[in-house]
Amino acid sequence: MLWKLLLFVFQTGCLWVIYWLGNQISAYFELPIPGNVMGMVLLFGLLCSGLVKVEHFAVASGFLLKHISFFFIPIAVGLMNWAALFYQHSLWLTLAIIVSAIAALYAVAFVVEAVSRRKDQWNKSASQS
Amino acid sequence: MEQISITILTIVATVLAYSLSRYLFLRYQHPLFNMVLLGTLLVIAVLLSLRLPYEAYAPGKEIMTFLLGPATVALAIPLYKNRGLIKQYGLLICGSVALGSTISMLMAMLFCKLGRLDPAVIISIAPKSVTAPIAVEIAQISGGDPSLAAAFVVATGTFGSALGPTLLSWVRISHPNARGLALGTVAHAQGVAMALMEGEDRGAMASLAMAIAAIFTSLVAPFLVAYFI
Repeated sequence: MLWKLLLFVFQTGCLWVIYWLGNQISAYFELPIPGNVMGMVLLFGLLCSGLVKVEHFAVASGFLLKHISFFFIPIAVGLMNWAALFYQHSLWLTLAIIVSAIAALYAVAFVVEAVSRRKDQWNKSASQS
Repeated sequence: MEQISITILTIVATVLAYSLSRYLFLRYQHPLFNMVLLGTLLVIAVLLSLRLPYEAYAPGKEIMTFLLGPATVALAIPLYKNRGLIKQYGLLICGSVALGSTISMLMAMLFCKLGRLDPAVIISIAPKSVTAPIAVEIAQISGGDPSLAAAFVVATGTFGSALGPTLLSWVRISHPNARGLALGTVAHAQGVAMALMEGEDRGAMASLAMAIAAIFTSLVAPFLVAYFI
């Protein structure tokens, strides 16, 4: 148990260093990319290069990703300062959220469905001949 | 009450609200028992009943979100585990996710513009289909409000995961790739959870879509936003 806790602290520290590096890179090159996205890309690159392995972060990433929703609660609580906005503009905000979500959902689904079916058929006929 | 005890109280309240919402979601597996939605409403209810303003909650928020940065970086791990799918379907995944993210951003901003909403609202709604930690950063970079951005993310995720699977079935979308990518692009982590319930293959596609939508949106949003305001 204590060992696992120590591992968690150490691995989280390593993830935190990558996050910090991501922020530094974004700031240094004045990129409009958020530091956390940069950190994510950095870790992906490190994993692909084989310099680090998934197992090196297993304890911390398992726990943090399982409970990542927790962190959004304190952020979303800030919403209480915006109650008037939602009350006044509920119609347009609801439309904006729902219509754009449906449009994007169908756009992705129809394109992928058509391409994937064609690809599957292609693979099938290729394996038959 | 002095600030330190208020801070401890708000942290305890948030952890309890999260635990209760998580228990309910896992028990009933229904998207309306969304952990963030329910947890947030519970915390706001506690603050209002104690007559505490948001400013009293802010110090606790700083402590609680301290680990969000490393957690977001860890999202690279599911992306890496599914890299085989990227090799196989790279162009299809990137193309469709880019299309979906662009449509989502443009239409959301268009409706807000039509409703004559504040520029800060237009900026904050643009990244609403992106996973919350990244959406918050994207909004902040362009001059939006983090909590507003988080609220739009949760609203989109709840709607997309609650009705997405049904909407897809209505028009007979049945290919695992199509269902997974659509849910992950539109409803981020909440969509991934629904896709995973349908099957492992859809879940993997959805988690790829979520990560790529986040990267794509962070690259494109600042330019699209500048065009709209």
